[in-house]
Amino acid sequence: MQTQPTGRTFDTRTPVDFVVIGSGPAGASMARELTRQGFDVVVLEQGRAYAPADMEHDELGAFITERWTNSSVTQPQTYRETERDTAQRRPYVGYAKAVGGTSFHFTGNYWRFRPIDFHEYSKRGGVPGAALADWPITYEELEPYYTAVEWAIGVSGLANAAPGEPMRSRPYPLPPLNVTGPGVLLTAACDRMGWGSMPAPMAILSREYNGRQPCHNCGFCLGFPCEWGAKSGANYTMIPEALRSGRCELRSECYVYRIETNDAGRVTGVLYFDQDKQEVRQLAKAVVLSANGAESPRLLLMSANKRFPQGLANSSGMVGKHFMFNGAATSRAEFEHEINGHRGPVVSRITHHTYELDPSLGFIGGGGFDFRFDVPAMIMALSLPPSEPQWGSAFKQRLRSWYSHSLLSYAHTTSLPVEGNSVSLDPELKDAWGLPALRTTFREHEHDLRMYRWFQARGRELLEAAGALRIHDDPINDSPGFAVHLLGTCRMGNNPASSVVDKFHRAHDIPNLFIVDGSSFVTSGRGQPTLTIQALAFRAADHIGQFAKRGEI
Amino acid sequence: MTLSRREFLAGLSAMGAVWLTGAAACRDASPDAETHAPPADLLSGASPAFVHFSPADAADVEAITARIFPTDDTPGAREAGCVYFIDRSFTTFAADQADFFAEGLASLNASVAKAHGGGTRFATLTDAEQDSMLRSIEDSEFFGAIRFATIAGMFALPKYGGNRGYIGWQMVDQQSVMEYQPPFGWYDQPENQRALLGRVL
Repeated sequence: MQTQPTGRTFDTRTPVDFVVIGSGPAGASMARELTRQGFDVVVLEQGRAYAPADMEHDELGAFITERWTNSSVTQPQTYRETERDTAQRRPYVGYAKAVGGTSFHFTGNYWRFRPIDFHEYSKRGGVPGAALADWPITYEELEPYYTAVEWAIGVSGLANAAPGEPMRSRPYPLPPLNVTGPGVLLTAACDRMGWGSMPAPMAILSREYNGRQPCHNCGFCLGFPCEWGAKSGANYTMIPEALRSGRCELRSECYVYRIETNDAGRVTGVLYFDQDKQEVRQLAKAVVLSANGAESPRLLLMSANKRFPQGLANSSGMVGKHFMFNGAATSRAEFEHEINGHRGPVVSRITHHTYELDPSLGFIGGGGFDFRFDVPAMIMALSLPPSEPQWGSAFKQRLRSWYSHSLLSYAHTTSLPVEGNSVSLDPELKDAWGLPALRTTFREHEHDLRMYRWFQARGRELLEAAGALRIHDDPINDSPGFAVHLLGTCRMGNNPASSVVDKFHRAHDIPNLFIVDGSSFVTSGRGQPTLTIQALAFRAADHIGQFAKRGEI
Repeated sequence: MTLSRREFLAGLSAMGAVWLTGAAACRDASPDAETHAPPADLLSGASPAFVHFSPADAADVEAITARIFPTDDTPGAREAGCVYFIDRSFTTFAADQADFFAEGLASLNASVAKAHGGGTRFATLTDAEQDSMLRSIEDSEFFGAIRFATIAGMFALPKYGGNRGYIGWQMVDQQSVMEYQPPFGWYDQPENQRALLGRVL
């Protein structure tokens, strides 16, 4: 394990080249790329920096007591289904609160988007009640940055292993991870149905890479940090590299609550609470907001001032709108023989056979499948299908069987951008720092519900083709109930009246404010957004660096 | 249960909701270092003292946990020390649930006394009598909470008080030193891949 570089220290009263808000996949990538271009960067992260010794296989902490995630108590949230409803207090948006952001505990699915994801609107047409639109950039423009990210962090996979894979300029830097039982069964099902399948591209090392060791197959991936450093989260990749540049300071446990602007309408710096709840002002020549698809719009709205009464970058009124999560349809199934999906990577094989679908099905969109096993024993025990015994010796027996002989069919899909689905500030509830709580308004579009049901039916077919003994469909509800892929709330576009940032992630309204994270997405993609978030960040940093060098910020 | 899988993973289990809310609340009230520090007596191997329950309450709670994960051909909640996990949860991350839990237990014992004679407590009933009592409260919030806490104690790291010697993990054949080598199960064995797929992935 390499020692954590400490970076350097910047004066708060001297404007630093860039303040980056958030150390997740987007912010950390921005910091790495901007420092490589010679800029000074201060990264502000609300979460803590955890050492490998803190990264225990702690099921209680990971899933129940919010050890590494945003707190439902100090950071309460509210939810309502529509704008007509009064929001009720409940956790709705989840993310890892740590250096590395959500890549601290992610599963590491690293699908690229395909060309269709960037122009589905012009290819397939609009949907009533949805704000489907083309991205202002294409797959081809983003491709070099996908490749750069894959090689920067070490993605394991096999290029062009199935029909329909998008053009790529370089193969994956590492071979696929070990295949698991769920991966073999998905492949068997796809073979029988005539579907293509391929090794899952994963941000987990299959071989040693850049001095980091490969996966130990412990199985504690989803929701857990990786104590080996084999999972290529920003905390093990982009952040240490940025710090080693000598041009970056990382301040963890610093909670930014306001971006400040001057009379000229330019950003001058940020205000944050440090770990002792002391208010600190850091001056900056430019600010990069990468706090995630929920917290970025919240911070823009909280930063409203006399000049920008609707919040920063919000002359369009679109900040916080078009909240998307990626749809899902899941079914669980038991098989005859031991699978032991709790060992090895969560996902080892996927199919993209259903990536592009005909609108005659009654919806616009698509998705892909994996077969996986992603919960530890505690969560499996708490979530056995209701038809199973829930206590007693029979419960023990059935739990053992479900733990060793079951898997989950998981369809990851698009979800439509709907203007009324949003992040906003709760008018009543405050967090522990006295700031307005995050309010989510969300209801699934009927086309999406139709699509999830279609995917669940295909999932059943896959499971049957794989020889499942018993299949249990998880419910599909009008609201997903909890969201972790946080997308679309500061959408990019060429028209300042209908989008928040331009194609280079610069706020239409403020020349030295850049917003780079899942909030930039115009559409949701098919399910695995992190690689695209990082590719967007690499591309943004490339252009922003050039702007800065030309004095155009 | 109508909750989506995501909702469940968010920690909003209908059955455990009460216990859980307290868990989150108290986690925030106490510094991480405190919550996550292993109590010294749990690591020493000695039988720890109860920090919250009276001996009588502890006996009842232990008896309930032992009906949820009975000791049969493999060890159960009793051997895993789930009662110690629950006991400690009420002085740490589930402190604000202590009263609710105590009322639930008192109410259960009142039903026991009514059915089996004054002064009888849950722990003194036979296994069959205990099961029958628990079946009668299966849908209650109290049973949901103690079931949730028992399961949590069975699989949480031993430093939280339960899952002694990783008994819970052994129950599901989960090793405590987790470095696995393929094949992980039956289906990924090369000969079975060949039979299923005509090739080895």
